[in-house]
Parts: sequence; structure tokens; C-alpha cells
Amino acid sequence: MTHVSMTVNGRAVSADVEPRMLLVQFLREKLLLTGTHVGCDTSQCGACVVQVDGAAVKSCTLLAVQADGCAVLTIEGLAPSGALHPMQEAFREHHGLQCGFCTPGMIMTAMDMVARLGPDLDEATIRENLDGNLCRCTGYHNIVKAVAAGARAMAPASAAAE
Amino acid sequence: MALEMTGSYELPVAREKVWEALNDPEMLKRCIPGCEELERVADNELRALVVAKVGPVKAKFKGKVFLADLDPPAGYRISGEGDGGIAGFAKGGARVDLAETSVGTLLTYTAEAQIGGKLAQLGQRLVAGTAKKTADEFFQNFAAAMTETAG
Amino acid sequence: MNASTVTPIGAPVRRKEDKRFITGKGRYTDDLSRPGQAHAYFLRSPYAHARIRTIDTAAAAEMPGVVGVLTGRDLAQDGLGGLICGWMINSKDGSPMRAGAHPALAVDTVRYVGDHVAVVIAETLNLAKDAAAALAVEYEVLPAVPDLAVAQAQGAAQIHEAAPNNTVFEWELGDRAAVEAAFAQAAHVTEIDIVNNRLAPNPMEPRAAIGEYDAGDEAYTLWTTSQNPHVARLVLSAFVGLAPENKLRVIAPDVGGGFGSKIFIYAEETVCAWAAKKVGRPVKWTCERGEAFLCDAHGRDHVTKGRLALDAQGKILGFQVKTIANMGAYLSTFASCVPTYLYATLLSGQYAIPAIYCEVDAVYTNTAPVDAYRGAGRPEATFLVERIVDKAARELGIDPAEMRRRNFITAFPHQTPVIMCYDAGDYAASLDKALEMADYAGFPARRAEAERRGKLRGIGLSNYIEACGIAPSAAVGSLGAGVGLWESAEVRVNPTGNVEVLTGSHSHGQGHETTFAQLVSARLGIPIDQVTVIHGDTDKVQFGMGTYGSRSGAVGMSAIVKALDKVEAKAKKIAAHILEASEGDIEFKDGRFSVAGTDRGLAFAEVALNAYVAHKFPTSEIEPGLKEGAFYDPTNFTFPAGCHVCELEVDPETGTTEIVNWIAVDDFGTVINPMIVEGQVHGGIAQGVGQALMERVAYDGEGQLVTGSYMDYQMPRAEDFPAFKVGMTETRCPSNPLGMKGCGEAGAIAAPPAVINALADALGTQDISMPATPAKVWAIAQARVTRQAAE
Ligand code: FES
Ligand code: FES
Repeated sequence: MTHVSMTVNGRAVSADVEPRMLLVQFLREKLLLTGTHVGCDTSQCGACVVQVDGAAVKSCTLLAVQADGCAVLTIEGLAPSGALHPMQEAFREHHGLQCGFCTPGMIMTAMDMVARLGPDLDEATIRENLDGNLCRCTGYHNIVKAVAAGARAMAPASAAAE
Repeated sequence: MALEMTGSYELPVAREKVWEALNDPEMLKRCIPGCEELERVADNELRALVVAKVGPVKAKFKGKVFLADLDPPAGYRISGEGDGGIAGFAKGGARVDLAETSVGTLLTYTAEAQIGGKLAQLGQRLVAGTAKKTADEFFQNFAAAMTETAG
Repeated sequence: MNASTVTPIGAPVRRKEDKRFITGKGRYTDDLSRPGQAHAYFLRSPYAHARIRTIDTAAAAEMPGVVGVLTGRDLAQDGLGGLICGWMINSKDGSPMRAGAHPALAVDTVRYVGDHVAVVIAETLNLAKDAAAALAVEYEVLPAVPDLAVAQAQGAAQIHEAAPNNTVFEWELGDRAAVEAAFAQAAHVTEIDIVNNRLAPNPMEPRAAIGEYDAGDEAYTLWTTSQNPHVARLVLSAFVGLAPENKLRVIAPDVGGGFGSKIFIYAEETVCAWAAKKVGRPVKWTCERGEAFLCDAHGRDHVTKGRLALDAQGKILGFQVKTIANMGAYLSTFASCVPTYLYATLLSGQYAIPAIYCEVDAVYTNTAPVDAYRGAGRPEATFLVERIVDKAARELGIDPAEMRRRNFITAFPHQTPVIMCYDAGDYAASLDKALEMADYAGFPARRAEAERRGKLRGIGLSNYIEACGIAPSAAVGSLGAGVGLWESAEVRVNPTGNVEVLTGSHSHGQGHETTFAQLVSARLGIPIDQVTVIHGDTDKVQFGMGTYGSRSGAVGMSAIVKALDKVEAKAKKIAAHILEASEGDIEFKDGRFSVAGTDRGLAFAEVALNAYVAHKFPTSEIEPGLKEGAFYDPTNFTFPAGCHVCELEVDPETGTTEIVNWIAVDDFGTVINPMIVEGQVHGGIAQGVGQALMERVAYDGEGQLVTGSYMDYQMPRAEDFPAFKVGMTETRCPSNPLGMKGCGEAGAIAAPPAVINALADALGTQDISMPATPAKVWAIAQARVTRQAAE
């Protein structure tokens, strides 16, 4: 057992974990934050994407102990007040989800896209940057629309513009 | 998943010596990559424990090694099969021929390997490389050990 | 359109269920934990075919944290039966299909890589895996037959004693003599050989189960990723013999996609429920993706020869088909009906074909079981029909659109030679609209332009039809179904006027919580947020047949309509008493009961409250309360149809195919929520394109699965598609009260032939198999370049 502590969604947490425990297992099993999903065992589906110290990470590729001391943000922490984050709202408005299983990973990936590339994302850029995320339900069509709209809504001036 | 490999080595050692070494469990154990245990249980049968890694799958193989078609000192067939538990199985074999040359012995082999279960599922694109590497390593180790004896 | 308004039919209402999914509050099976739960890990066969000589469990049972190690013998000792196939197919000679036993855990023989050998239950999953590695199984390896093409050959290894020559049935449909006569008259015959590639369904949520046993009540609860929890309970109770239905509760909470693969009753779920009692602890299992590739029932896998008889003008005279369908190593829950009644009955496509004859052999191989996958039989039929019609058009020098038009069915109802009676449709309308949206006329110019850029451009059509709304119970019963395919609904009006709708359908992405609520909102005139849809729990919903075959709208919602009719009728009676009017004078409109011709009336909620207070009507005549149930049995299948157009460009240097335009024009009858329907179309297209260009489950000669992860099984990604253009045409379905036809499978059915027809057009050859990977396309493109250079 190894002791780990980190900040998850702004809350300090610590626990004793098996050294082989993955970050995604830590979030799901120890913290009961089950919004982060596991869709594969080869790090290729993106259902498990969270932010670690501000960058998108597939939480199935990281051991819990590797995130020791880090700040982790999961889908549950995106809009803690109970309101929706603009990216979440965009997924709802544009029907960017069906079964919802890929959705948390898609939203976290989209957040990262905005952080890296800004709020003006064209279709080709979005499709290219979704290459680490699989969705079997939507054919991606509405996810792409949702990401574009969510990104626009995240632009600092957008509130005034609308 | 089945595949075949061939190779040959010049050994500066007399053919009888090579033949002896090829039949010596201690020697084989030293040369089989990842071999943790190897003991003779019958004339031509050995029991082995080998740790191997194919791509993302690492497993401990419990298995048997058989010697067949013995033609001392010209060659034999060595084959083995290992049960890797939840990782699946691996099987392999090699026909080994020894020919006398001016410097010692020419060892040639034709080996084949087959894997199944999770190993094949996840490791099939890597198995060719892994098997080739394992065979190479074995014969390299063997050649090195023989050269040592000669020296 | 917000939650506090009444939502009319046809409005793109935003989904009620989304809030929990976008905030990470979905409740999928693996998200649940039960107090004291232990974890199961299945030891699977690494061999495609082997006899199990011994299983030594002693060492594993001694490992730390192990709660139990169970094998097929334990299962048999407890008297549990095997898994079943619920649809009986008879061979041509009248003999019933020859099915081998399908134990949940193998007893003495394993028949495919991944077959279930034993289960280890331990405190944690890792401890269970460690212990599974200590299980000693001695196998006697047997020759395996993974290849469909040789499974029936003489001397092939036999997989089940019950099925000589590995043949489950040799079935036929249609009129052989009539087809032979048609060929005798034909001016032209077009032939085609097709391999419909085996697919892995891959819902993004892997299967999972938690079994729990309450020793006090002697009752089981099974949480499972099921599309049809009631059917799961029925099978586990009546056939497997786990427990009587009243002692078995099956709950399918949020389910992350199914596409057919979560219809079936699998070994793992069965074992979790059974083992919970054995070890006295809740038992949880979650499938790893690698296991899903091995064990989730695969889809498709047909080898087919088709022959089309035509007259000189391109009119189809007859169609003859021979298909060999891979069943895998065992018959899965509905495996037998997929290549028969869901396949051959659609071989008429959208065309008036006077004579059809189809033979289907179902064959065992040492591979994972094959069963329904999005479309189930209908994509295979559509692929065959749309490819051979296209090929015939090219052979006869007729434009493919014109060829289709010449053969369309134009009068309804239309009885095909293969059972189905099409009730409504306008195939020319969807073709016309699709061609217009695709600017079909402008294609030659676009092709010439692409050629200047060194690209080969092609355009392909697919005029699909499917039979949905599965299905009239007596009809499917006469064809061998073990169950009736009606649906149930219950509408519970609460005293304060809000409503719970209980449905036997199950939503795993389709948005029923919205669409069903939208229907109720529109009908009762109450805001949609006052309607809650409840599904997926056998303790809440009395019975239901579940969701597949695009049936939830046409069948599930029709049941709701019936229940709503009853609610309205009773509420009118109550309103009549309160308003002191005669029942016949009460009108119900916009959520108000009023006396015709007066301004006297009551809001829906007032009547609801009065129904429960029961002060103002004689309870000797009218029972208190406002709750009605209904069972709806459809009178016919429904026949969604449409036209998809795929335009693509091939780079002959790399073999890559880029889809540059996609048009989908579908006739789904009445559409309740176009936003959701379009989403269903998008998803279906993506899966169909996946089949056409990327996806294929492959086994090697020894039956090892070589496409068992996302490294080797190519899934469609966002970059593989353009934005889709979706249009609709509408002919109402006459056989159900809402006029709905169903939309869940259309894209997956329509897409593959559209892609391959477009590729055939681009590459100038009909010899293209699925998946048309860059390697294949490159080879064809290079051969074409060489050929052109030589000419
Ligand atoms: S679960 Fe992490 S990428 Fe699939
Ligand atoms: S919404 Fe189901 S996988 Fe994306």
C-alpha cells in the first residue's frame, strides 16, 4: 500500500492505495466519482479523460501514485455550483450525446481543446483533435457541433455578445 | 498465430561438445531467455518455468520441453509448450542441425512458434518480433557460452 | 422549447436525461457498488477447440482474498440449465434446427477462444486475477474450424455432436420453381459474390453485472447492462432455472449503448447472479474491452452468392440467393432468426420482384457466437440487393438511379414473394429528394475536377428498406419465435397531476425519457417536466419486451397511446360528474376538460386530484385513482425506407478513401422528435461506414482472435466523416396509432452499400469487398492505373 494525496475537484483527498491502482480506479472506486468512465484497456477510447494540473490526461494511463500532489479535475467538478458549464450546456443543446458513456471524456477533451487552441474552433480542427475519443452512438456529427458551440460560449466576450 | 524463423551460427567448438551442451539442462536454462527453472523429468522431457513478455502481456509459463528425433551428434528437434494462465499459451519448436566445419561446428535452426489466448489477442502484431528476438537470444546466448567454453 | 412547456409532437425537444450524463451523474452498472461485494474474473479458453481434461482449483482457492472458485461442474450440480436460443428454425426437410448445448461455464469442452472455463471470485479484481493465474487447467487440444468456408466440408472437425457437418439448419424461403422460370426467360443475368464481414458491436460501455442474493427473502437481484431486462429475467427463470420470476429482480440502469449486443443472455451475467448465492456475497463483474471483443456476440458474417434475372430493359424478373451464415460456436439468444426471418424477408428491397428464392445454411464454427447487431439481417439483405442492382445497372449501361426507378414498388399495400406486405412508402420521393440534395446531376463535373487533382471520385446510392416495429406476436410465433413481441405501458397519474410512464422498452441512448414524455406532454397538455419515464426494472415495470429492431417508437409508444386513451376516457367520466354534464359532452383539449359549448371546465390536474380524493363521483360506478395500463401488439411490421447517397474520393497513391458528402433521406413515418431521430441516423451511418471501410473481426487459422483490441480493430473516429446531410420524406405508417415506423437502424442498413457502390464507381470495378481498407483500395487503384497505361 502506498499513501497518495491530491486535490480532486478542489477538495484535498488522500488514501492508501495498491501501487498498481490506476488513477481512474482511484477516482471511481476510492472517491466514488463514477463520472469518469473506462471504455477500453489499451488507452484508446478517451472515456476516462480528466484534467491533471490543467492538461487533459487519459486517467487509465496514469497510476494513482503518479498523480500524487497533483490537482485533478473530473466531469463532476466542472460546474460545482449545480449550474452547467457552457461546454456541458452545448452538448445538451446540440444533442452531442446519446447513451452518454463517452460524454464526460468528450467534454473534458473539448475543454482541453479550448485551452490549447482557443474558442474559435473550425470543424476540421475539432474532428482532428477528437482523435483520441471514441463514440459509438452519435457518428460524431453533433459532438462536433457541440464542441464548436461550447468553445464559442467559453470565449471571454461571448456573454456580452449574446 | 504461427510463424517460422531460421538462423545459423558458427561455433568454434567440436561438434560432440555442442551436442552435449544441447542436451544439458543447466546449459539450456542459462540460455533460454527468462528461464527460471528447468529440470529433467524423463529421458527426453524437461519441465520448465519461463517468464516472457509479448507486447503489453507479461506471463509466467509453466510447461514442458521435449527432445525428439535425436541423431547424436548431428541434431535433434527441441519443442516446448507453456501454459501462461490467464495470458494464454505459447508453443514452439526448433529443428537444430550441427555440421562439422573447419573451425568447429555450424549450427543451423528452423524454429516455429505459436501463441494463443490473450497473448495472441493483444500481442499478435508484436509476436513475430518477440519470437525472433527470443530465438536469436537463445542461440546467441548458446553461442556465447560455447565460445566461452572453447576459450 | 424548455422543460416547463407543453411539447408538441414534431418538436426538437432537448433531452431530459442529458443533465445527469453531462454532469457525470449517470448510473451505469459499473458505477454501482453493493455492500460487501466481491469481484468476479472469468478464466477463458486460450484454445479455439479443446477438451478440458482436468481443472485443478485447489491452489487458486487457497490464494489470498479468494471467496470462491466455480466451474461448469458446480453449475451443473446445482441443476442450472444452459443458455438458450429463443427462435426455432426448421430446415427445408422440416427437421428442427440442430443446436448444441450451451452451458454458461464449459463442462468438458471449450469451443472458441474466450469460452468460459471457470470463475474466480475474490475481494478485489486484482486478487481474482492473481488467483485465476493459479488455476491449473489441462486441455486436450482439438482441431478447430474457425473458417466458415470450410466448416461444412467433409472431414472438418465437428463442434457439436448434435449438429452433423457443423450445420444447424438448411433453410429456404420463396418459390424455387418460379425463380428458375424467371431465369429461363432472362435477357441478362447479374451475379455477385459477397462476404458480409464479421463485426464487433462495441458499445462504449462494456457489459457489466452485479448479482445479489437475499437469503432472508430467498430472492435474487441482478443489475445488468441489458436492453431487455424482462426477457433476461424470463430466460434466467424459465430456462436457466435460477429462480422463479417473483424471486428474481433484474435491473438495467443507465446502459451505455447496445446495438443489439446487450439483448442477449450471456454466461457472465448468469454466473454472477448464481454465484452471489453460492458465495453469500454480491458478485460484481465488469467486462474488459479485450473480453468484449472475445465474448460479446458478433454481428453479420455471411457468405452469399446472388443471381439476378433481368429483362433487356433492366426490369428485375427473379432473384436467387444462397447464403452461409456463421453462428459461431454456440447459438446465441436470437441468432437463428437473424439470417432467416430478419434477412431473407427483406430481399425484395424497394423493388417489385416477381420471384425470389433464398437458401440459408447456418453453420457452427470455433468462433464467438454471432447474433443481432444494429440492423440484424436487414443490413445483410440490403447490402446484397443494393450491390447487385447497382452491378446490374452498370452491366446494362443504365444509370443506377434510373435502374432503381424502373423497378420501384409504386402501389401499396404490396405483397412481396418473401412474406412481407409493405404497407406504405414512396420510394421515388426519397430518391428524388436525395438526388437533388446530392446534386447528382453535377457529379460528372465534380469527378472531372477531382481527376485534375489526381483523385478518383465516385458516387453511390443505397435505397434501403427495413422491417421494424418488431413485431406482430402471432405472426412471429408462426415463424418460430419463442416469445410474443408486443409491448406494455402503464400511465400513472399522481394526485397533483404529474405523470409517471412505465414502459417495457429500454433506453440506452435512444432518448426515450424525452420522446415518450414528449408524447404524454402533448397528449395530456401538461409540461414535459411533469412527466417521468420509468424503465429497466422488473420490480417497477410489470413486463416488457425491450428495445431492439427499432421497435420502441412504433410498438412501445403505441402501448403508451393505448394507456393514454384509457386515462383520458376515465378522466372524462370523472370530469362529467364534477361538472354535472353528460360524459359525451366532455371535451379534452390543451390539458382542459370542458363541457362542449360552455366555458365550464377543469384543468387536467384538478381532475387528477378529484380522481384520488374521490368525493365527487360514485365509487360504485367509477373506481378511485387514475392509472391505466395497456399491452399493444402490432398488426404488421413497419417499413422505414429511404435513400442514402455517398460521394467519396480515393487517393490512388495511398489508397485512402475520403467521404466528401453524405446525404440521407429517410421516411420514418411520423417523427416525434426530429433532433433525436437525426441523431439516430448519424450514429447508424457511422457504424455502416465502419463496416464498409474499417471494421472486421478476424480469426487466424487456429481460431485465435487477431483483432481483439482497438489497436487491431479499427473503429470509426471523428475525422473519418464529413458533416452528414439529413433529409426526411414522410408516408404515415397505417398500422399503428401514431403512424411511426422506427429509425434506429436505418443508417447502419443504408450505409455499407452506398459506400461500396461509390467505391465501385470511383475505381471502375465491382470487385471490392468489405472492409475496403486502404491496402485493398490501393491495390485496386494501382491495378487500374497499370491497366489504363497498357490500354
Ligand atoms: S479507458 Fe482510458 S482510454 Fe479507454
Ligand atoms: S454517446 Fe454513446 S458512446 Fe458516445
